[in-house]
Amino acid sequence: MIGSIILTFALACSIFSALMYYLNFRGYKNTLNYGRIGYHSMVLLVLTAAFYLEYLILTHNYGYKYVYDYSSNNLAKGILAATFWAGQEGSFMLWLVLSSIVGLVLQNYSSKRGDLEPRVMAVFSLATTFLLIMVSPLFKNPFAFIWSEPIFLSLKDINPSLLSLPFLQNFQFTDAQSGQSFIKMNSELFATLSSGGISLKEFIINGKGLNPQLLNFWMQIHPPILFTGFSMATVPFSFAMAALMKNDYREWVKQSFPWVLAGAGILGLGIMMGGYWAYEMLGWGGYWAWDPVENSSLIPWLVGVASIHTLLVQRKSQAKGGIGKFAKTNIILCLLTYVLVLYSTFLTRSGVLGDASVHSFVDPGMLVYLFLIIFIGSFLVLGFGMVIYRWKHLSEKIASEEQVLSRDLALFTAAIVLSASALIVLVGTSAPIFGKAVDAFFYSELHVPLAIIIGLLNGLSLLLKWNMTRGKDLLKSSIIPISIALLVTLMIIILGGVKDVMMIILSFSCAFTLAVNIDIAFRIIRGSLNMIGAYIAHIGIALFLLGVIGSAGYSKQIDVNLEKNVPVSALGYEMVFTGYNPIENTNKYQFNISLKKDDKSFSVAPIMYISDFNNGLMREPAIMSMFTHDIYVSPLGYEEDDGSSNKGNAVSFQKGDSKVYEGVKITFDDFNFPPETRQAMMQGKDFEIGVNLTAESHGKKIPLKVAWVNKSGQKTLTSADLKEDNVKITLLNLDASGKVDLALSKLDGSNLSAVKKPKEVLTVTASIKPFINFVWTGVLIMVFGFVISVIRRLKESFK
Amino acid sequence: MKNKYIFGGIIITIFLAIMVYLFTQSNIQYESNFQNVMSKDKVCKATGSWVKSKNYEFDKVNRTFSFFMKDETGNEMKVVYYGSIPNNFESAKSVVVTGEYKDGYFHARDILTKCPSKYQDEKVKSSGL
Repeated sequence: MIGSIILTFALACSIFSALMYYLNFRGYKNTLNYGRIGYHSMVLLVLTAAFYLEYLILTHNYGYKYVYDYSSNNLAKGILAATFWAGQEGSFMLWLVLSSIVGLVLQNYSSKRGDLEPRVMAVFSLATTFLLIMVSPLFKNPFAFIWSEPIFLSLKDINPSLLSLPFLQNFQFTDAQSGQSFIKMNSELFATLSSGGISLKEFIINGKGLNPQLLNFWMQIHPPILFTGFSMATVPFSFAMAALMKNDYREWVKQSFPWVLAGAGILGLGIMMGGYWAYEMLGWGGYWAWDPVENSSLIPWLVGVASIHTLLVQRKSQAKGGIGKFAKTNIILCLLTYVLVLYSTFLTRSGVLGDASVHSFVDPGMLVYLFLIIFIGSFLVLGFGMVIYRWKHLSEKIASEEQVLSRDLALFTAAIVLSASALIVLVGTSAPIFGKAVDAFFYSELHVPLAIIIGLLNGLSLLLKWNMTRGKDLLKSSIIPISIALLVTLMIIILGGVKDVMMIILSFSCAFTLAVNIDIAFRIIRGSLNMIGAYIAHIGIALFLLGVIGSAGYSKQIDVNLEKNVPVSALGYEMVFTGYNPIENTNKYQFNISLKKDDKSFSVAPIMYISDFNNGLMREPAIMSMFTHDIYVSPLGYEEDDGSSNKGNAVSFQKGDSKVYEGVKITFDDFNFPPETRQAMMQGKDFEIGVNLTAESHGKKIPLKVAWVNKSGQKTLTSADLKEDNVKITLLNLDASGKVDLALSKLDGSNLSAVKKPKEVLTVTASIKPFINFVWTGVLIMVFGFVISVIRRLKESFK
Repeated sequence: MKNKYIFGGIIITIFLAIMVYLFTQSNIQYESNFQNVMSKDKVCKATGSWVKSKNYEFDKVNRTFSFFMKDETGNEMKVVYYGSIPNNFESAKSVVVTGEYKDGYFHARDILTKCPSKYQDEKVKSSGL
């Protein structure tokens, strides 16, 4: 209740702030301070609400639906705190909190740059207003009480000392299928409890808990970073709107530039962190599956990065006076970045993707769906309405035209290619709305040529001068990088065994841009470090692409059965499963595998456990990282001899089963049961059903046969002898469904010994991922490049 | 003519053309009626639920995972997936399989498991690139 009230006040403050800022822009001088007070109060209230929610989570207040749904008593403190954003309500709340903090910085930033503040902040507080409506009691409110809508609580979550309360009978239900009992929690039960003086906190003592796959470090850090990126996408939108409002397209470019860079850097880091999470935890061996959730955050990133390139041209060309080149493009791209963030939210939160994603979505209901459409619609109409309104002013004639060999045109082309990529991902991801879907190859096939163009273009653009370059100069300056790139590509072909033509071209394109960027970066190090950001970011991208070529195109994968202590060679390594042990303080087991190659040896330990949360078998891969490749071992299953039913001499075999008796491995291959025999059996004639077995001992395979023989109504079961091994096998029974019972004994009639199955077998998928480290380091280097650029452009934004 | 329009135009046109082509190539229809799934010989995404009463099997030799699925009207079909059991399969509420129906069963190359609504931010990957 308190939480909802605080949020409602925050909403009022946000609307007030937007209004006051707007009035200030329209010329009411005295409203600027009201706008600021409104915004700051809103931030204060939002933070209070967030701390209150966190407090409810940390104190296990299960009277709140959100707390009950996503947390439980047994969670470690760090994870417990992170359940704040485990569900839709909380992640909207997280987005809101981060947005309001970003807005705080933006307010400070814009107040120091002329008359920027009222325009930018009016638009920004409009965005926070929409987020506040989203978390209001009407829609996705994290402070909803557990009884606000009827919900079935498991008996184990209810305080056992209160279960004997007589009136609970009326609220108890049993699921006929599973036999489990539930308490139906609704407003009626809440009223009854309160009248009895029992608080919800006393009554409900545990929550549902968190999905085991979210129980890790990445859950604590990935969502906040991703949502910071989302929040920062609002800023370029606000700057573009501010420019349209004032009808001045010169200043906003340098003012928004550090924000666009910072936003793209953070969003990029957040996206790739999600990829690393998938790689490290989920065990399918990759980091990117073109899943709608991944895609939908990639689309705004691509558009944001596209805008960086054209903003740079506009900024450079402003030196000659005027608003500069690509004024329209930049406004549109900056508006689009945020609209696409909203569209991404719509795709992933509205339930339209239902069956399309590995991420499960709850249908949030018609109201939320409509509100999300209104949310996107408002910002789309507002932004593009303004663009149309100002179209004439935006189309200011510029005297000079882009030459073919100019950096201006190369950067523009880069923006086009990035936009094309965004469009492709957008179309593929939106397809499920129309009941269709695309295969992953739709994305990958289109992105290979795009990546090639990006690499070549990037290298080329740095060799080109602004405005115009003579062909001769270009040729001269490109000889060295092209030679280096050819050399590297040759090495990749020979050492890496890359044969695919597209991959060779892509490798060349990456090597080319790498060579150009490293060359320039080194020259710059001697000069001003300030300028090095872009080159570092592009070195990162080139490394990233090389990593993608290696890890996606040339990984080798194999499934292996590892019997305990029996070495198996796979992927050039000798693998031995040495046993398993429980991990301290958890219910998890690690399965130890030692790997040997030449004289180097190391060990990996994938993990499996049965989760209490869903009674499912959970598997976690183990990764051995080396400079040139990763060894990725993902567990599939584990089977062991239970030792109970196999003692004695009667043994059941399923088709294909193998069992070891007295050092002889006996395998049941199949029946010899042709249709004629079947017919003879039906008609009561004589018949013989054979059972084909294989005995294996001392490296030899011996085929054996036992049979059920029916002669003149007399049933005989035959046996087979293995003289060398002193073993006798007698058929006891057979079942046409594929099962036989065999008696195993020693020929000389000595004591029966225990029969053993091949025991303790761990099945794993092992793979080698070449140069996957380049993917991660590439992204980190790229982000580092963004950081340097932000610092530089921040200094320039004052000028 | 402005160079930027030529360059931008060419790139956009080429990629739009390839995209439309690939889209029609890789276009997969969702199918919630198994009778349609069984009658057509085209790759589709069949959506339904796992028949828990008929247990699932994992064939270690051929590395296939097989189970039965039924649609809303109760039509059942056998599904064989070339891979291991997806995490969380036991608690799956609904299943989406991508593949083709032939030789009497559904050859799945991808399984997607959906868990009850409480796992909102579920990240379950069954297969990837």
